[in-house]
Amino acid sequence: MPAVCFYFQVHQPFRLRGYRAGDIGKDHDYFDEGQNAAILRKVVNKSYLPANRKMMDLIRRHPGQFRFAFSLSGVVVEQMHAYAPEALASFQELVATGAVEILGETYFHSLASLYEDEEFVLQVRAHSDFMQATFGVSPRVFRNTELIYDDRIAGLVKNMGFDALLAEGADDVLAGRSPNFVYQAPNNGLKILLKNYRLSDDVAFRFSNGAWPEYPLTADKYVNWLRRVEGAGDLVGLFMDYETFGEHQWAETGIFDFLDDLPGKLLRHKQWSFTTPSEAITRFKSAGVLSFPRTVSWADSERDVSAWRGNNMQQLALERLYALSDAVRRRDDPYLSDAWRRLQTSDHFYYMCTKWFADGDVHAYFSPYESPYEAFINAMNVIEDFQIAVLGVPREPLPIAS
Amino acid sequence: MLGWEYPPHVSGGLGTACRGLTVALAQQGVEIDFVLPKIYGEENAAHLRLVDAAAPELVARQGTGRLNFAQLGVEFHEVPALLAPYMNAEQYREVLHALETAMSTASTAASDHPIAKLKAALASASVAGLTPSGSALAALPITPDTGPSDVTPQFVPDQYAGDLFAEVERYASRLASGLSGDWQVIHAHDWMTFPAGIALAQRTGLPLVVHVHSLEQDRSGSGCDQRIVAIEHAGLWAASKVIAVSHYTRNMIHRLHGVPLEKIEVVHNGVSVPQAVEAYRKDAQWTGPVVLFLGRITLQKGPDYFVAAAARVAKLIDDAVFVMAGVGDMLPQVMAQVESLGLSSRFFFPGFLNAEEVERMYCLADVYVMPSVSEPFGITALEAMSYNKPVIVSRQSGVAELVRHALKVDFWDIDQLASQIVAVLRYPELRQAMIASAGDEVRRVHWDAAAQTVMGVYQGLSAGAGARVGDSPGGG
Repeated sequence: MPAVCFYFQVHQPFRLRGYRAGDIGKDHDYFDEGQNAAILRKVVNKSYLPANRKMMDLIRRHPGQFRFAFSLSGVVVEQMHAYAPEALASFQELVATGAVEILGETYFHSLASLYEDEEFVLQVRAHSDFMQATFGVSPRVFRNTELIYDDRIAGLVKNMGFDALLAEGADDVLAGRSPNFVYQAPNNGLKILLKNYRLSDDVAFRFSNGAWPEYPLTADKYVNWLRRVEGAGDLVGLFMDYETFGEHQWAETGIFDFLDDLPGKLLRHKQWSFTTPSEAITRFKSAGVLSFPRTVSWADSERDVSAWRGNNMQQLALERLYALSDAVRRRDDPYLSDAWRRLQTSDHFYYMCTKWFADGDVHAYFSPYESPYEAFINAMNVIEDFQIAVLGVPREPLPIAS
Repeated sequence: MLGWEYPPHVSGGLGTACRGLTVALAQQGVEIDFVLPKIYGEENAAHLRLVDAAAPELVARQGTGRLNFAQLGVEFHEVPALLAPYMNAEQYREVLHALETAMSTASTAASDHPIAKLKAALASASVAGLTPSGSALAALPITPDTGPSDVTPQFVPDQYAGDLFAEVERYASRLASGLSGDWQVIHAHDWMTFPAGIALAQRTGLPLVVHVHSLEQDRSGSGCDQRIVAIEHAGLWAASKVIAVSHYTRNMIHRLHGVPLEKIEVVHNGVSVPQAVEAYRKDAQWTGPVVLFLGRITLQKGPDYFVAAAARVAKLIDDAVFVMAGVGDMLPQVMAQVESLGLSSRFFFPGFLNAEEVERMYCLADVYVMPSVSEPFGITALEAMSYNKPVIVSRQSGVAELVRHALKVDFWDIDQLASQIVAVLRYPELRQAMIASAGDEVRRVHWDAAAQTVMGVYQGLSAGAGARVGDSPGGG
């Protein structure tokens, strides 16, 4: 009796304003409120609101049957509070139906799990509290930024009391096993739900690609693909950005019609159902221990963390930022702590990615900068100001030009 | 192919571009007769048959008959009273020579001062025939013990004087009356060769391709010499096909001369990748990082924006050094700007550099900045990239359309330019990331690609109706 487990990621960063070397020491206002408000409203109108209406409609048409999970970063919820309260209200209505599970993540959609355990735990707790305050629910299942995950992170997540975690079903980690089962982490029993990346990416990336042999993708065709899992798996993890609906795939591509069709056509096959992650771990037994010896993410063909720290610019920026953690905590100033953590949002480092070819197009599409070099310069200027002018931490001597 | 200069005797990018393009074309099996106004005997061009327009047999055949520009469709609507703001080629060469001489003979500390060198150079240049006049340089607050203070020459903003036009006309006449060969296409580079191209095409009935490396508008802005504009116009309309070095130039040709866009093909320039010569860095006279400007010091190139940005950089990077290599009508003004900012000790003005000195300078630089106000292409940016240097280019340059692994900035945005320079100097991680990708980029836009496109143009012409010389609608 297989099930589909939908999880949609909702996130928008606080983008930086254009910040120049000459601003260092003079201006401590880092975030582009105008741009962030405009982008959020655009995404709300093109994606979140129409998609939420569709989801509400599906929940009503398939009562008790259509269910799924959201993960909302703290920073996107903050921005909805400020710039699009109607969008936040519509997410709250969806959660209130009981058909939608809210997952845990880091409040700031950060890479803290790769740098500082203490900071990571703090941001996850802050997110849980914020979800409780906003939606009245406490997350039981965790998903890390961009599905970044390995065995070490499993221990941190288990210690925070989560029941399960979402991860990428990377081929090398599975080593021939199927992504369509519940697994558990070595030693600690934390349950793992995996993304079926082929079926997920068919929707998220390939849906409107005219050069794809399967184009156009219809709900009937997709249901047939899902049904191949019958007898060979318990659940299909369809994990994707929520912006897939209306923003990455525009309404004109027919993505909303596809979404509208799919649940009804799948539920016609009586053995099939939809499940939330929390339900899935009670319904399905673990198929065994699955170890993630390397750090996996859902990004790019490498499915590793190279999109955020694959080059020296990214590593330098991240190291400079995390080197300030003690100073930030010593100052214990809520405004400064918040600014420092907003700078940790993974997007700032994604914009510096130089893997131009193949994966590069996707990076370019999501970046507000003309080049990764400009993204680096802008972020470094901000970090310099934060370090020298705000915290009063001296910079190391200049490296000698080579 | 009709050219005006060829390495090593080059005054700008034109000769270098002709070499790069012809080498790549020759590799694709194209046989090229390359005609120059004069051959110096130092050209190394085994892939070409170099033709000297000053060769006795051509001069003899030219006889006494002179070519009339009007016969070629060139109409001079007006002769402007005011003059194009840069030197003619002859004056240029003399100043260069004088400058080089002055620099090589300078020995005392006082005469090492860049302004002293320039003054000395200009003094000898004036002896060599330049008219001393003006006061901009005299007004410079230079250190007291430098240079001869009684001579205060300045580049005279003379138009392309009679002798350059005469040279253009002479070149055209000799080719029109004396030159023959087994050609299929006539390919003329920039306006100096257009009259010759038109004349040859008229005589032979062959299709004419005119190749625009830069327009008078780019070089001089609103101070255009209308005679040059008229020659450009005639050439553009007489041609069966026009080649432009960038989309920027293509649009400019369309806008200024009304040439239909479909007649203009874009062929981006590329540069050969020289073997990096790191040895230069060993005997560098500067300890701090070097920010390089290399080009004519004239309005089009934005030298004043470079200085303004440098002033901001100097405050943030204590030991940064700024090198402005080149000469031009704005050099005195730029030097005055540097003096008044109190930055004389941070700036170096080595004057015009020959090919070897250019190479050395690229090798010494830590970042190359091209803040051009208007730049049809900007081959120097690719040159700098080929020397593994991070590059900052203005968005107002043709090359900005082409390269991704460079920083781009609006030329007027001095704060942003300064911020980019500071970052490149401050973060080796940034330099290394840019350089790593830029090398591939330079190779990708190599001349081979340019030659492919030019081949396509040639093939289109031989497949088409052939010459359509002189069918201009009212352009003359």
